[in-house]
Amino acid sequence: MSTEAVASAIRESAETGEPLRIAGRSTWLDAGRPVRANKTLSLRDDTGVVSYVPGDLTLTVRAGTSLSEIERVTREHDQWLPLDPYGLADGTIGATMATASAGPLASAFGLPRDLLLGLEFVNGRGDVVRGGGKVVKNVAGFDLSRLLTGSWGTLGVITEVTLRLYARPKADRSFVVVLSGSAKEQAAFLDAFLTAPFSPYAFELLSPSTARALGLGDKPVCLVRFGGNIAAVDAQAHALAQLARVEEVEPSKWQELRILERGSGCVIRLSGLPAQFRSASGFILDDPQSGIFTYINPIRGVLRLVESPQTEDELREDQDSELGISTDVPPDEIVVYETLPAEVWPEIAPSVVSDSLSRGIKRAYDPHNILNPGILGE
Amino acid sequence: MTQPSPAPTPTAVSTQSVVEHLAEIVGERHVLSRQSELLVYNSDGLPGYRRQPRLAVFPGTREETIAVVRLLAAEGLPFVPRGAGTGLSGGALADDIVVVGLHRLKKIISLDVANRRAIVEPGVVNLRLNKHVASHGLLYAPDPSSEAACTIGGNIAENAGGPHCLKYGVTLNHVLALTVILPSGEIVELGSRIGERDGYDLRGAFIGSEGCFGLALDITVKLTPKPQTVRTLLADFMSVDQAAHVTSAIIASGIVPAALEFMDGPTIRVVEDSIYAAGYPRDAEAILLIELDGLEAGVAADLETVRRVCIDGGARNVKVARDDAERMKLWQGRKKAFGAMGRLAPHLIVQDAVIPRTRLPEVLATIHTISEKYGVVVCNVFHAGDGNLHPNIAYSADDPAESERVHKAMIEIMQACIEAGGSITGEHGVGLDKMGYMEAIFSANSLNAMCELRSVFDPERRSNPGKVVPIHACKEWHGVPGRRTRMDPRSPGEIHEPRPLEAEPPRPSAQ
Repeated sequence: MSTEAVASAIRESAETGEPLRIAGRSTWLDAGRPVRANKTLSLRDDTGVVSYVPGDLTLTVRAGTSLSEIERVTREHDQWLPLDPYGLADGTIGATMATASAGPLASAFGLPRDLLLGLEFVNGRGDVVRGGGKVVKNVAGFDLSRLLTGSWGTLGVITEVTLRLYARPKADRSFVVVLSGSAKEQAAFLDAFLTAPFSPYAFELLSPSTARALGLGDKPVCLVRFGGNIAAVDAQAHALAQLARVEEVEPSKWQELRILERGSGCVIRLSGLPAQFRSASGFILDDPQSGIFTYINPIRGVLRLVESPQTEDELREDQDSELGISTDVPPDEIVVYETLPAEVWPEIAPSVVSDSLSRGIKRAYDPHNILNPGILGE
Repeated sequence: MTQPSPAPTPTAVSTQSVVEHLAEIVGERHVLSRQSELLVYNSDGLPGYRRQPRLAVFPGTREETIAVVRLLAAEGLPFVPRGAGTGLSGGALADDIVVVGLHRLKKIISLDVANRRAIVEPGVVNLRLNKHVASHGLLYAPDPSSEAACTIGGNIAENAGGPHCLKYGVTLNHVLALTVILPSGEIVELGSRIGERDGYDLRGAFIGSEGCFGLALDITVKLTPKPQTVRTLLADFMSVDQAAHVTSAIIASGIVPAALEFMDGPTIRVVEDSIYAAGYPRDAEAILLIELDGLEAGVAADLETVRRVCIDGGARNVKVARDDAERMKLWQGRKKAFGAMGRLAPHLIVQDAVIPRTRLPEVLATIHTISEKYGVVVCNVFHAGDGNLHPNIAYSADDPAESERVHKAMIEIMQACIEAGGSITGEHGVGLDKMGYMEAIFSANSLNAMCELRSVFDPERRSNPGKVVPIHACKEWHGVPGRRTRMDPRSPGEIHEPRPLEAEPPRPSAQ
C-alpha cells in the first residue's frame, strides 16, 4: 500500500464520514482500546527500506516494516536500531512510533521520539505531510514528528519514518543479581549501583513472578545489560561483581522479558520520579501478587504491572480487586493504561487528550474525526 | 473546514497608554520606548539584519510576565519574546512591535539531585545552570557556543544544540516539562515534571517553536551525570578533504564521540590572530577537535582507535590535551570562533545547514568552488559529527556590492546542501533568515500543517508574527489576519508582517 493509496482511502472516508481503525500488523498494540470504527486501514503491506546509507547511520523505511526486518537489514552492516518495545518483534515501526512504545533500552537510548528523525503521514483530510527530515539534526519548521509520535493514529496515519541508527557494540553482555536480602539491603544495592559510574544499556528490577517466568529463580532479581567497547563492558562487569554476587546470562533473557506480555489482557504502566521507585522497590517487588508480573526501571522511573496471561479468566472474574492497584497509586505518579479488557476502558482510563490544545490539534488534523476515534479515551 | 471569519478591523491604541500600563506592571525603568534606547534590541546575533522595535518590556517575575502577556492579549498587540538575543536566524527581530525580554527571569527554582532534574526560569543563562549543578557531579548537556550568554528560554525556542549534542542530543532530549503562557494569557503545563505521560507530545511540539507558540514561565530540565573521564584530541590536516573523510571514518568505526568539530584553515588563522588563540597550528588546512567521554577504560580504548583513524587518514599530528586547562583552551578557540570573525569585518552571515555525513567531502569542495566564484572568503567551523555545517562570511552590510555577492554565495551554498539531501537548519532555527528556503524542503501540505499547529497555540498569530513559516504558505490564513491591534502609527499604513530580509532567497518548488 503506497502513501497515495492511504491518502485516497482516507479521503474516501472523509467524504462518507466512515471512521477508520488504523492498524500496523495488528499483532500487539491494539490493547483492547475502544475504537469506534468498523473499517480497518492496515499498513501491513506497506513495507520495505526506502533508503539506507550505513555511513550516515540513518534508515528510512515504510511504516509497515517490522522491527525484526529492521533488525535484519541493519545487522548486515553491524548497526542496529536500539528500540525494544514490549511485545513481539514482528510489530511494525509505524505502530511503535504511533504508540510511542518503549522497552528496557530506553534508559540508555531514549524513547522512540528520540530515535525518530522525520516522518511522513497522511492527515484526516487525506493530505500527505512530512515533518523533520533525513539528517541527524534538524530544527526546520515546527516539530510535526514529535507531535505524531504517541498520537495513536489520531492525527494522521504514519506512512514512512526516518530513524537514527547506532553501530552495534563490540561487546554486549547481560548479568543477573539476585536480590535475596531485606528491602533495606536491596535499596542499598540500588543506591550503590546508581551512584557508581555505570552506564548500563538496560537495567530492570524483576519481581519473583517475573524472575520465575524467565527461569531466574524465585527471588526478585536485577537484570542488567552492558554494551560498548570490550574494555568498557569488562570494567563494568568487574565493578558489578564487587557490589554483589552476579551471574552472566544470555542476552536472550531480554527478548523473553519483552514477550512476557504477549496475550496479557491488562498492562498498566506507572511513571514517577526515579528516586521514589528506588526507595519503594523492595516493597513493590516482594508484594506477592499472584498472576502479576512487575518490573521496574529505576533509571527512568517506570513500573510495569502485567497481568499474566494464563490467569486472565480468574482476573476477569475479579476485576475490581485486581485492577485496584490503580487506586493505591500515590497522587504524584502518572498512570498509563496500556492494555485493558475492552469493557473496562471507558470506566477507568481517563482521556489523555481532553485539554484544549490537544482538542484543537485533533480538530485541525482530523476535522471529520475519522482516525481511530475513541482510542485515547476522547 | 470552517469558513474563515471576516477580518477584524484593526483598532489603534496609543503607544503612550500601552507604555503606561506596562510600567504599572514592571516599573518604569523596565519599559523602553525611546528609539535611542531601543537600538540595542534592533538585531540579534546576526548584526547585518536590523528591525526597530516599537517598545520593549522586561518583566522581573513570573507574575509580572503573566500580567504583561495578558495585557498584550487584551489589547491585541503582537510581540516578540526575547532571551539574550544571541540567536542566529533573525528570529528575535521585532519590526515595530513589542519586545518581551525575559532575561530578568533568572531564578533556578529547584534542583533535585536524586532525580537529576532542575526547574528554572527562562532567563537563566545556560552556563550558569551548568555551574550551579556542577558541584553535584551533574551537567546540563546542551551547550550552544553562546552558552556564556544565551538563556534556557531561548534554547527552548530554538531547540538549541551545541558541540556535545552529537552524543547527548539537543535541547528537546533534555527537557521534561514546561509551564507555558500562551499568547492568549492562558497557562498550560506541557509534558510532566514527575514522569512520562501519554497523550500528544505538546512539550515536543513547543520546543523549537521559535517563540511562535507562547512563552515558557518555567522549564524542567533533565541533568546528566558528569562523565568519569573526558579526553580531547586535536588532529591537524593539510587538506580539508582528508579531515572530512576522517570524520566519516570515526563515525563508521562505531564510536560516538562526545563532540567532533571541524575548523578550516581560514578559521584557524582568524582564531589564532584573536584573543581566543588556542594554539592551533596556523599552517594547517583543517583541524578536528574530538572529545571522548565516559568510563575510563572505555575511553582509553576509543582514544587509541580514534588516534589510529586520524593518522591513517593523513593527520599530520594528533595531540591529546594533557589536562583540563589545555582542554579548555582548545575548546575556547572553537566556541569563540564566530566572535573572532569580528576581526575581519563588522557583520557576519552564518548558515546552519545539515547534510548527510557521507556527503561532507563533496559539499565542502562545492562550498570552496562557490566562494571562489563570488570572490568571498567562506570560513567553515562546524559540528562535523552531525554533518551540521556553519559556513560563515564576514562582510560589511554597509557595502551594497559586497552584501550582494555574499548573499548570492550563501544562497548557492544552501542550495548545494539541500540538493545533498540536507536540512536548512540544524540548531539556529528558521527565524526570518531561512524562511525563504522553507518551501524548498517542505511541501505546501506540510507547511500548512505547521500553520495549523501554530494556530492552535496562537490563533491570533500575535507571538513572533511572520516567522518560521512563510505566511503565504498557510492556506487558511489567506486574507485573514489574526486579531491584531496596531499602536498609533509611526507612519500611516496597515499592519504588516515583518518585511523579508535584505536578500530574499529564491523559492524553488518542493519535491
